[in-house]
Amino acid sequence: MIRLTNVGLKYDRGPEILSEVNFHLRPGSFHFLTGPSGAGKTSLLRLLFMSLHPTHGQIQLFGQDVSRITTSKRAPLRRRIGIVFQDFRLLEHLTTWENVALPLRVVGKRLDDYKEDVTDLLQWVGLGDRMHGYPSVLSGGEKQRAAIARAVIGKPELLLADEPTGNVDPQMARRLLRLFIELNRLGTSVLIATHDHQLMRQFKAPRLELHDGHVRIV
Amino acid sequence: MSGSYDRPPDRPGMRGLGSSPRTPEYDAYDDGAVVTQQGGRTSTQSRDPAYGTYEPEPISPDSLRTDYERVSRPDIYVPTREARKVQSLTAPIVPAGSVTGRSLTLVITIMCFLACLTVGAVYMIRQSANAWLRDIASEVTVQVQAKDGTDAEKLTQQVATYLGQQAGISKVTVMSAAESAALLEPWLGPIDDLNALPLPRLIAIELDRAGTPNVDAVREGVEKQFQGVTLDDHRRWQRQITTITHSFSLGGLAILALVAMATTAIIVSATKSSMASNREIVEVLHFVGATDRFIAREFEKHFLRLGVRAGLVGAILALAVFTLMPTIVQILGGGSLTLSELHRLVGSGSLDMAGYVLMGIVVVVIAALCMLTSRFGVFRILNSKH
Ligand SMILES: Nc1ncnc2c1ncn2[C@@H]1O[C@H](COP(=O)(O)OP(=O)(O)OP(=O)(O)O)[C@@H](O)[C@H]1O
Ligand SMILES: [Mg+2]
Repeated sequence: MIRLTNVGLKYDRGPEILSEVNFHLRPGSFHFLTGPSGAGKTSLLRLLFMSLHPTHGQIQLFGQDVSRITTSKRAPLRRRIGIVFQDFRLLEHLTTWENVALPLRVVGKRLDDYKEDVTDLLQWVGLGDRMHGYPSVLSGGEKQRAAIARAVIGKPELLLADEPTGNVDPQMARRLLRLFIELNRLGTSVLIATHDHQLMRQFKAPRLELHDGHVRIV
Repeated sequence: MSGSYDRPPDRPGMRGLGSSPRTPEYDAYDDGAVVTQQGGRTSTQSRDPAYGTYEPEPISPDSLRTDYERVSRPDIYVPTREARKVQSLTAPIVPAGSVTGRSLTLVITIMCFLACLTVGAVYMIRQSANAWLRDIASEVTVQVQAKDGTDAEKLTQQVATYLGQQAGISKVTVMSAAESAALLEPWLGPIDDLNALPLPRLIAIELDRAGTPNVDAVREGVEKQFQGVTLDDHRRWQRQITTITHSFSLGGLAILALVAMATTAIIVSATKSSMASNREIVEVLHFVGATDRFIAREFEKHFLRLGVRAGLVGAILALAVFTLMPTIVQILGGGSLTLSELHRLVGSGSLDMAGYVLMGIVVVVIAALCMLTSRFGVFRILNSKH
């Protein structure tokens, strides 16, 4: 599913964030990605999401080399990936409901076909009473849940989540974790970047530990 | 990874699996249900037995919120937009206001107005010129300039008789000296003594439209037979009218080309600025897997609507101008004479069905131009960025 070979990453003039990163995540796997703040977790996820090109090395995604992928070829691959950003990236002028439905709209599905799915999922993540409001009035945790709902609504083959439980209480975190586990059981590969040790204790999954630009799997 | 949940496996199942039918009502906080999606459909279903052994902690909506959230969002704060009765499910992804402002609409309206005026004016001129040419084409004038001492009247009669015998001529009308003088009156004023002026006598010939009369042969014959007789089939006049209408048409085309260029340039820059101000939306659309084509469509929708709306308004304004033209001329001090001169120049001054169709075409072209320009603008910007 994901294979990184000697991947190195450097922002313009900065130091090397990642160097000689090698790992392979099989389809249907579940991994945590940890490491101190600033270690490069977000950067690694961005590499996997093709919004960054590696400075060197090769990244394979769904069996394709995406290290130098062009914009036009990115869209079909991204439809197979769900991503939760650390800063949510919800669109302020659309309602929460519309934000969550966006991935389905983009692939050309008809409203009648996905209407109930979106409502169901929003209720499941506890946003049933806020879904027709705008994200700007949501709390941090609510925004986070909306972002997660948007990431999973299309039932992606790969889920990348950047601190998906950073803004919610432990109870909600557990609930969201369960959502990820369910998704994983249905065949989605999951990679969750997190600092939350409590969360990682709740579910035994291999960890990718990022340290000094290297990745170690434990 | 299985069995590593946070609850002891010996807790009783949350519901009698398979025994009682599921309530149709969906419980938002029912942890026993899982969200699954098969073939794009999300459905809720019971866990399989291995996972059906969880006792959900009762979660009330309030307990889903952290203390911070509970405190930071007092209940009084209900945004007005949330209270809208109609739930928005498919709001435009790119907000219309961020793309097509009022000034842009105004400019496109003016462009369409100018285009319609040009098309309408050229069309009218061509119409009336064609009508003229049709009349003139079947008319030939013969001038009889009697030499000193010869009897003009007699010569004219002889010529008329001769012409009447030629093939392809349907009617010969001899104009009297007074009639000829009347034709000159607008230029020379009332003429008191007709004989003081060496006025030529005129014979009007109407050609038979059905056949193809050989005007040149008739001319040769009549000019050989009689002295001082010339035949004018208005060819020079026809050529001049044609040249004038052609130049009008060319000028109109030039104006249309300029209008099209200006419209394109305006739309290109409007596309650029709307892409810039909606950068975040474009980014998020890319994140959720939108193709360039999809993004372009979201933008071009607004430009198409702008083109249609501005185009229609522009066309209606142009029609109003054509309709009110006689009134305007009158207000500017033109009498009925001016009006009739104007009519002679631009025909009846009103558009027929074909004219309306032409205006419709202008609107369609303007709208299509707006849409396509913005589409290619979006493509170009998207492809130049990465
Ligand atoms: N666009 C950028 N340009 C330059 N440097 C960047 C950029 N984005 C990130 N960095 C740098 O790369 C390093 C890794 O950042 P990254 O966001 O990947 O860390 P992280 O592990 O996600 O941290 P956190 O846990 O705080 O989210 C940081 O030192 C950051 O300053
Ligand atoms: Mg980060």
